[in-house]
Amino acid sequence: MSKIGEGITPQSQEKRDLLVLLERAQSRSGYLSKRTIAGLAESLGLSISEVYGVATFYSFLSIKPQGRNVIRICKSLPCYLKNAQTIIEGVQREIGIKPGETTADGRFSFELTNCIGACDKAPAMMINDDVHGDLTPKKISQILKAYK
Amino acid sequence: MAEITATINGRQVKAKEGMTILEAALESGIDIPTLCHRPELVPIGACRICVVEVEGSRTLVGSCHTPIAGGMVIHTHSDKVLATRRMIIELLLASHCGSCYMCDKANICELRKIAADLEVGLPRFQMRKNYYALEDISPYIVRDLTKCIMCRRCARACREVAGHNVFGIAYRGFDTKVVVDFDQPIDKEVCRDCGVCISFCPTGALGKPREAKEEKRGKPLIITS
Repeated sequence: MSKIGEGITPQSQEKRDLLVLLERAQSRSGYLSKRTIAGLAESLGLSISEVYGVATFYSFLSIKPQGRNVIRICKSLPCYLKNAQTIIEGVQREIGIKPGETTADGRFSFELTNCIGACDKAPAMMINDDVHGDLTPKKISQILKAYK
Repeated sequence: MAEITATINGRQVKAKEGMTILEAALESGIDIPTLCHRPELVPIGACRICVVEVEGSRTLVGSCHTPIAGGMVIHTHSDKVLATRRMIIELLLASHCGSCYMCDKANICELRKIAADLEVGLPRFQMRKNYYALEDISPYIVRDLTKCIMCRRCARACREVAGHNVFGIAYRGFDTKVVVDFDQPIDKEVCRDCGVCISFCPTGALGKPREAKEEKRGKPLIITS
């Protein structure tokens, strides 16, 4: 099986490669700057508004600078029913910012996201690429310690 | 192209293969309301106003984008279809900006016309509305996105008819909106005066600026007797 995005180079000229190129730019610089978006639009023959549209649709892409670690808490129904609200509030208390914000020291960005496919471990959250499940408010500070 | 026969509202109807249900119905004199669809554009089936009942189909189908097939038994105005259309209009009106009395496009508004045709009054659902500032810095176009119903006709007309590509669709869910560049007010740098999108907009979201001089800068009328 081929890996997603295999064979797509930064010089790629195909419109259908847009999402992979956005994802790469995001993992390179942490967010999608106006310059990145305009550059991609230019090289793929798309308008800026089209690329901006894709970049703002996906919750794993960001048009604002992100902290070093991105916390994403699931806000979908299974997690909600397992008290995700207490986890959201717990993280909020722990790092002192609301969803959509980044801490002043740039250590954490905090976001709510739709289902991350960890319903069996609800309530769940992702920090960067790691999934943390079966959360309780007590576990939060221990988990966050690992992310500097 | 091969000719096929289908049944629409109990009547045998001839159509050409490759036609949509909507096209076949219109050709046989049956009117199906449409909102996001225009014959000049590629159908996207976004608004669902044109849904019809096809016997044997699990769900109602969008007639603007569903090809007609031989032997289909179609109902364009059954109780189920009309109830669905009314609900769709009611939901569109519920998140639409507010009172038609405040809108200068009220009597050329397709949304309002379809609502009137389907006898939909005030929506039952009271919900919060998005607020977007009026975009009136361009000399060619005024955008009032609180009146936008996300039919995407402007974006498609710009691309498919005018041959430009000014609009994109950004954000997600209730926040989805038609954007220009990095979501900034439309100005004369990105969009010239072709006006194609204005004529495609079914509501009052797009319009030409009103020329103040016509109303206010004329010579005062002095009546001397």
